[in-house]
Amino acid sequence: MSAAPVKQLDLTAPPMVKTIAQRSLIVGVVFSVVAVVLAFMRPDEFYRAYLLGFMCWLGVALGSMAILMIRHLTGGGWGMVIRRILGAAMRTVPLLAALFIPMIVAVWQHRIYIWAQPLQNIKDKHLREHLEDITKTYLTTNGFILRAVFYFAIWNLLSFLLSTWSKQTDHAGAPDNTDRFKVVAGPGLILYGFTISFAAIDWVMSLDPSWISTIFGLVILIGEVLSAMCFAVVVERILFNYKPMSEMLKPDFVHDHGKWMLAFTMVWAYFNFSQWLIIWAGNLPAEITYYMRRLNGGWGYIGLIIVIFHFAVPFGILLSRSFKRNIRKLVWLAVWLLLMRYLDLFWIIEPNFSQTLKFTLADVVVPIAIGGFWLAYFFRNLGALPLLPAYDPSAGEVLEPAHHHPENA
Amino acid sequence: MKRDPIYGIMAEFDSAQALIDAAHATHQAGYQKIDAYSPFPIEGLAEEIGFHHDEVPLVVLIGGIIGGLTGYLMQYWMSAVDYPLNIGGKPYHSWPAFIIITFEMTILFAGISAVFGMLALNGLPMPYHPVFNVPRFALASKDRFFLIVFSSDKKYDPAATRQFLEGLAPRSVSEVPS
Repeated sequence: MSAAPVKQLDLTAPPMVKTIAQRSLIVGVVFSVVAVVLAFMRPDEFYRAYLLGFMCWLGVALGSMAILMIRHLTGGGWGMVIRRILGAAMRTVPLLAALFIPMIVAVWQHRIYIWAQPLQNIKDKHLREHLEDITKTYLTTNGFILRAVFYFAIWNLLSFLLSTWSKQTDHAGAPDNTDRFKVVAGPGLILYGFTISFAAIDWVMSLDPSWISTIFGLVILIGEVLSAMCFAVVVERILFNYKPMSEMLKPDFVHDHGKWMLAFTMVWAYFNFSQWLIIWAGNLPAEITYYMRRLNGGWGYIGLIIVIFHFAVPFGILLSRSFKRNIRKLVWLAVWLLLMRYLDLFWIIEPNFSQTLKFTLADVVVPIAIGGFWLAYFFRNLGALPLLPAYDPSAGEVLEPAHHHPENA
Repeated sequence: MKRDPIYGIMAEFDSAQALIDAAHATHQAGYQKIDAYSPFPIEGLAEEIGFHHDEVPLVVLIGGIIGGLTGYLMQYWMSAVDYPLNIGGKPYHSWPAFIIITFEMTILFAGISAVFGMLALNGLPMPYHPVFNVPRFALASKDRFFLIVFSSDKKYDPAATRQFLEGLAPRSVSEVPS
């Protein structure tokens, strides 16, 4: 089994990566113009949509970092083949840190977060009493900013270490960084679990400061890793049209990516159902407000769509082995689940602001504007490094030619 | 049914790759009923002997569905029919409370179906198997790789099949008595 012909494979990303980056940037700029107009005309709607868009794309970046760290701990060809895709997504964390600034502006301007307003403006007596306590200790403007700085510092540090060591293995004579990766990935996953839980509480759960769910951080976390795996499948499908991905991506790897999608979809359903079952069983006035709001006034339809099309249908489809092994089919479910991720975050965030179902122009425009910039940066990152760290000890798992069984391809 | 005195013809190989190549060639030559034996699992070998699909997933799916229905109906019968109990003012038939047990019963039945379905389909435990009539076959659990063409194959012919297998550069070729 000689790997020689494949070893000489040119691992640089195809030039179309740059084209996509440029087009994404154009989309980002065009939609930003509309978004900025909306920010001045309808600031409240703008900031809600901004939080929605920000959480969508943050999820892809942080989820990619988490999957990358899982791969560093477990190994496996499935992770090698998408390692640089995950890495490029992870290295967008600095951009996301900059994109977080409007959220700080929102808090300064007393927008969307009710706890950021002067307390005398709040009419509900119970809520005001509750907030008098918590706005002195946890939900303070400075605390919000400092914690955000802290989360982004940790994410940037993890991203910096993992990508620096990864870059070293692009060249001959590279050190074996496997153990270093492990040392960072283990604690890194724990840190990610804690930081994203607190970030989810600060940025999303605190929209309704009278409501508490202890599993909420995990609900956001699992959504992020699901988004990231689906995004990686979409990008690997695009790259599959060109060398070197067309040589590297084998049905076994695609199968594993499909299995991850199935696992994350199931865990997503499990966490969401756990949250709902506990609140339903307890039936306490302080807790049921979350679902009373989200199951009435038209929001219930969105909830039903999410149950069926974010869980039931994808779950059923992903049981099929041949479906999971076929990248041309799997990619469509990945695109679909990414749309469902958007809808799920929409259903989590937006009912805080309206009793009845309401879709605004900003809900569409702002996430696309953020996505345009994010994708431009992502594809720039993807083009900056070879698509495989060729001198990593595990690179052989991807570069070895597959056994010749064409009927299985 | 009259039992064929000859079970098949078996060829012995030195390496996993040689076995994969031989299995590929034999399958390509039109032999349908073939099998391969190796000391360790070899990726891709099952496909080469023309084994693409097994029925275990179907058994597991059916087992899982039966388990889920059993779990749900059991709870429904207990909570709403046999011993109705008012819990927190909720309806007797409160489906959300039934989901966890339903889920666990699905897993339990699917798991049991996987084990027994596998045993039923591969015929284990099997106290007698003709391949052990070839003394060299003991090496299949050490460092040798074996390919067999069963005598029940349509294309099977004692002389021609032996000649074909010998053409694959095996270490040895033996006739397997039933």
